[in-house]
Amino acid sequence: MESGNVSKVRSMTEQSLDQTTDAYALQVQRLTKRYGDLVAVDDLTLQINKGEIFGFLGPNGAGKTTVINMIVGLLSPTSGAIFINGQERARVSKRSIGICPQELVLWEELTCAENLIVMGDMYDLPRAVTNERVRTLLAALALSEKAKTRVSQLSGGMKRRLNVALAVVHNPDIVVLDEPSAGLDPQSRLLLWDFIRSLKSDEGKTIILTTHAMGEADTLSDRIAIIDHGKLLQLDTPGNLKKTIGSGDIIVMHLAEPEQNETVMTDLKSVEGIQEVNDVGGKINIRALNAVSLLPTILERVDATRARVSDISIRENTLEDVFIYLTGRGLRE
Amino acid sequence: MTVKFLSLAVKALKQTIRDRRSLFFLLLFPVVFMIIFAFAFGSPSSLGTGTTPHEIAVINLDGGATMSVNKTTQHINAGANLTELLGNITYEQTDTHMFHLNNVSADKAETMLKSRGLDAVITIPENFSRAVVSLVNASARTEATSDIGLQVINATAAQTAAPSGQLPATSALLNQLAKNTTLPKQSNVTAQVIVEGDTGSSAFGAAQGLIFNVLEQYKSQLQATTIRQVDATLAQNQSKANIDYISAAVKPLTGTQSFTYFDYQAPGLIVFALLLQVSSVAQDLARESDHGTLARLKLSNMRSFDLLFGTLLTWIVIAVAQILLLFGVAVALGFKWSGGANSIGLAVLVGIIGGIASISLGLLLAAFATNERQAAQLGILIAVPVSFLTGAFFPLPNETLGTAFGTTFQVYDLLPWTQVADALRQVLIFGSGFGDVAVYVGFAIVLTAILFVVGVISYSRVRLRSK
Repeated sequence: MESGNVSKVRSMTEQSLDQTTDAYALQVQRLTKRYGDLVAVDDLTLQINKGEIFGFLGPNGAGKTTVINMIVGLLSPTSGAIFINGQERARVSKRSIGICPQELVLWEELTCAENLIVMGDMYDLPRAVTNERVRTLLAALALSEKAKTRVSQLSGGMKRRLNVALAVVHNPDIVVLDEPSAGLDPQSRLLLWDFIRSLKSDEGKTIILTTHAMGEADTLSDRIAIIDHGKLLQLDTPGNLKKTIGSGDIIVMHLAEPEQNETVMTDLKSVEGIQEVNDVGGKINIRALNAVSLLPTILERVDATRARVSDISIRENTLEDVFIYLTGRGLRE
Repeated sequence: MTVKFLSLAVKALKQTIRDRRSLFFLLLFPVVFMIIFAFAFGSPSSLGTGTTPHEIAVINLDGGATMSVNKTTQHINAGANLTELLGNITYEQTDTHMFHLNNVSADKAETMLKSRGLDAVITIPENFSRAVVSLVNASARTEATSDIGLQVINATAAQTAAPSGQLPATSALLNQLAKNTTLPKQSNVTAQVIVEGDTGSSAFGAAQGLIFNVLEQYKSQLQATTIRQVDATLAQNQSKANIDYISAAVKPLTGTQSFTYFDYQAPGLIVFALLLQVSSVAQDLARESDHGTLARLKLSNMRSFDLLFGTLLTWIVIAVAQILLLFGVAVALGFKWSGGANSIGLAVLVGIIGGIASISLGLLLAAFATNERQAAQLGILIAVPVSFLTGAFFPLPNETLGTAFGTTFQVYDLLPWTQVADALRQVLIFGSGFGDVAVYVGFAIVLTAILFVVGVISYSRVRLRSK
C-alpha cells in the first residue's frame, strides 16, 4: 500500500521526491492520515537532519502523535511516504527506530533490568550486548540501584526514566520521544535533558521530541516544527522562530471582568506601538516593542472602557508566544 | 541470541507467578473448591452413593427351574434368591443395607418411581432361574472336562504305587467319573434383568451402579461356587452334598462401597481449573494491549508466532502445575486413584489438551474484549457455565446429538473440555491406558485444534496487525 502511495506522490512532486537521500535521517513527504472525515495529518512534508534534536510542537489534537505513530510504523498513512536514511520506512530494519511513548509502557511485575532485557531479546540483541547496554542505560538514568526492583515499586519519575531507557535499549539511530518529561519533577527533568543531549553528542543519534514544555523545546532542540490541525505551520531554529514574531515584550493583563476582554482588545489594537493583542486563556496578551513606555497609555485606555485591571505583568517574548502567534491558542500544561 | 518466544514465555511466567491475585485465582481457588467438594461429597455418608439405603422395588417374575445336583433333582428360584440378596447386602464395614426393598406391585412401583419415591425398580424375568441353570451347567461342564485328564493321570499314579497285587481296573476310575461327575446337559437360556429408573436422577445413577455390581458379583459367585463344587465331587469329597449357591456368594463389593461422589468430581475440578485459564489468558493479553506493551512489542522484531507460541508455552506450564497440584490435593483428600505413574503422565498430557483449548478461547476473548477488566469478566462468564456443561461438578442429563463410531454423542461432547474430563476420569479413577481413552483424546484434539485456529486467527487479525 505504501509503495502505491509513493508512486502517486512521485508523479505529483517529482522534484521534491527525487531529493530522497540518505543525507537526512528522516523525510516525511506529503503525509496524510484520515479517519473518515477527520484529517488528522494533512499533507505534511518535512526533513530531519542526521544527528539533530528535532522538536515537534503543537496543541492537543494537532496530529503530533499521529505523525509519530506513522513514523515508527504503528499506523499506516492514508497517503504520502516516509523515508529513513533515504530508504522507504517499511524496508528499514525495525532496529533503526526507538520510541518512548507518552504513556508509561512497562511490565509492572518485572524488574527494571528484566523489562530492558525482554526488549533487547525482542530486537535480537545477543544477551551479553543487552546486559552491557542495560548496565549503561540504568547508570545514565540514575536507576542502577533499582535494577532488581520491580517496576510496580518505582516512583513516577523513575518509571518515566525507565520508559525512556526502553526506547533506546536496542541502540537505534533515530529516537522518538513523545513528551518524555511530562509530569517529571525538576530534578528528574534535568537528568533526562542531560541524557537526551548525550544521546545526540555521545552516540550521534537523531532525536525527535514532542513536548508541551516550551523551555524544554527551546533548550534541547536544534530545530522546531510547529504543527496544528495536522499541518506544518513553521519549521526553524528556536532563535529564528522567536525572531519571526519580532523582539519585544509581552504585557499580560487580567481584567476583573473577563467578559470585557473583547472591547478592551479592540480598543488596544489601535494604539500605536502595539504589534499584537491576543486573548490567551482569559488573559489579554499585548506584544509591543517598548512595553514599559506604553504601560500608562494602555492603562488609560482600559480605564476609558470602564474595565478594571486585577493583575498586570510584563515578560520577555518566548517560544510560547511564537506558538500562540502561529496557532492562535495556548498549550495545555 | 535468545529465542524470542522463550523470552516472552519466561516473561509471562514471571508476571503470573509474581502477581499473587492471578496465582491465587489459578491455583488456590480450584484447591479451595477441591477441599469443599471433598468435605461435602467425599465421605461415605455423603450424597449419592454413600451408606444411605437406596429405595428400590424388585418385581420377581421368575418361574423357577429344576436342576440336578449330585443326581438329585432340586427346584430352585434364583429370582427369589437374588431378591433376598439385594435385601440383605450391606456396605462394607457397616451394618447399613445398600437397598431398602419395597414390597409393592409392578403398577405401584411404576407410580412410585415417577414420583421419585423409588430410586429404581428391578424386574427379574420369568426365565431367570433357567438362565442361571444354563450358566451353572456351562461352568460345570467346562470345569469337569478340563479336569478329566488330570483325574486319569492321578489314578494311574496311585495304581502304580499300590503295594498289593490288587489291580484296580481302569474301569473303576471311569465308573467313578460316571457316578460322581454326571456332565450336565447344556442349554442356552439367557435372561435380562431390567433396572428401571429416571436417568436424569443422580440417585438412580448411583443405585443402578450398585445393582449392576451386585448382579455381576452374583453371576461370578455362581460360577465360582459351581467350579468348587465340581472339584469337590471329583475329589470324592461328599461333605457338601447340597449346594447353597447363593448364601456363600455374597461378599462386600469392592470398588463400589468406597466410591464416593467426590471421586467423580475430582477430575472434573481439574478441568474446572483449566477452564479458569480462559479468564487469565484473556486478561493477560488484554493487559498487553491496554498498557501499550503490545504496541511496543509489535515495533520490535517480534513476530506474531513468537507472541502466540510464547503464550502457549507459558500457559501449558501453568496447566501442568494446576493438574499436578490438584491431583495431589485430591489424593490427599481421599480421591481413589488407581493406576501408577503412567496414569499421572497420561493425565497430564490429556490435561494439556484441555489447557490449550482454554488458551485458544482466551485468545478469542482477548481479540474482542475492549479492556483488561472486560476480558477477565467475560472469561469467568464463559468458564463457569462451561465447567458445568462439561459435567465437571455433576453428570448432566442426556441430550443426545447422534451416534457415530459406535458411541452416542451428547451435545456437551462438542466441548473439548468434556472429552478431557471423561478421559481424566477414565485414567485417574480406573487407571485406564491410552488405548481406552484414545477416542476421547482424539475428539479433544480435533475440537481443540478448531478452537485454536479460530482463536489465533481472531487475535492476530484484531490485535497484531498495524492499523
